[in-house]
Amino acid sequence: MRWSVIWDYREALLSGLAYTLAITALTMIGATLLGILVACLHQHPSYVVGRLAETYVEVIRNIPSVIKVFFLYFVAGLDAMPAAVLGLSIHQSSYIADVLDAGFRSVPREQSEAAWACGHSRLQILHHVLLPQVVTTVMPPLTSQFIEIVKNSAVAMLLGIKELTFQTQNIDVETFRGFEAATAVTVIYLALSLTIAGGMALIGRQLTWR
Amino acid sequence: MAVREGTFGPAEPTALDRWLWRGLVAAGLLLLVWLVARERWEVVFASGAFLLKSLGVSWLLTVTSVAIGLPAGILLAVLRAGGPPILRHLAVAIIELVRATPQLMVIFWVFFAVPAFTGHKVPAWTAAITSLSLIAASYLAEVVRAGLASVPRIQVESGLATGLSRAQILSTIVLPQALRNMLPALIATIVMMFKITSLIYVVGITDFFRAVILINNREFEPVALYTTLAAGYFICCSLLSWLIRSLDPNYVLAQ
Repeated sequence: MRWSVIWDYREALLSGLAYTLAITALTMIGATLLGILVACLHQHPSYVVGRLAETYVEVIRNIPSVIKVFFLYFVAGLDAMPAAVLGLSIHQSSYIADVLDAGFRSVPREQSEAAWACGHSRLQILHHVLLPQVVTTVMPPLTSQFIEIVKNSAVAMLLGIKELTFQTQNIDVETFRGFEAATAVTVIYLALSLTIAGGMALIGRQLTWR
Repeated sequence: MAVREGTFGPAEPTALDRWLWRGLVAAGLLLLVWLVARERWEVVFASGAFLLKSLGVSWLLTVTSVAIGLPAGILLAVLRAGGPPILRHLAVAIIELVRATPQLMVIFWVFFAVPAFTGHKVPAWTAAITSLSLIAASYLAEVVRAGLASVPRIQVESGLATGLSRAQILSTIVLPQALRNMLPALIATIVMMFKITSLIYVVGITDFFRAVILINNREFEPVALYTTLAAGYFICCSLLSWLIRSLDPNYVLAQ
């Protein structure tokens, strides 16, 4: 084993990390926004709208993320980066929608109705009654969804985006040091996941203190 | 539409709502058929046997990896819950490491790591089954752990007080209840495994995903082929969850 190969390829690995970070960050934003939208539609009082959201979640969940990304790239003809980010956002949004939905369902409906009877508006109920409770229940599963995004970002290599997993394969092709590279990259992924878990825990604590 | 002031969450659907929904579904399906009918489907039908065979490979990979991964996952979960310290830390390390790494990376890692230690390359199938089983075991271990935690501790204590051995308590009291409680998460994980098999094509196995890509490389008919691909996975994953649910007659009641 020759670990110096990692130092030799430090620039490749760092640029790979930059791509992974970019995909992860953009997907996090996209998936969360889409997830909020779908969760809201699912909570919508109209039966038809609710069923539409349900169908979306069901269909998206039963198709692998690679297929969505490939579909956007080869069929819809998007560039590699937008295809990867959009595909992964759509993929993860169904899971995030479910997490948020479960969070809102965990608050008894009577609380909202009581607040409504007291004369609060829907926005006030959301702000003062629902969100403070939902945030605490939603934070842990949301964290694992975000970590899932870090991991799914590896799929982008299949479109030729030079992110971390791509660099691993590249190092293996050029030097036959796949094991060392794979181990180093695994450690980087682990660090990324832990950073997200820590960051989310911090944010969660901030939100509950208020 | 049943929208009333001062109500929260989905309301009880009226008959009109239901008919509206059915109409929408019918319209959506018609639109889909119309869109899809314009494509060249000869390409898909011409390779029907090849596609079905490759779909079989995907199922085989899923079933094998779950068949190996579930016992291994139970073992890991039990070790994590109450094994000797060294084994416990080892179980935690395996579970957390695999779960924190992209699945694609785990597949590559097995593909690279074995040659690094043994000196010769592993056959693609061995690498595929090993990596998928490893993934299945780690994810299922967490599912099993949640299931074990759902059984009240007092039952274990009562079992000990009655004079049962730890193995007896585990196999006759805790596991049957835990397995029942974890069924929804189990379904989700097995469906996830089916979806993960779509990544295994990177080691060169012709599963459903690779088969469609190979045909597309020759024929270049992306819309028809990728629609087939998505439909194939959707049908199989839905079938898989329906199948497991129907194995448990109490599933609807348990919800």
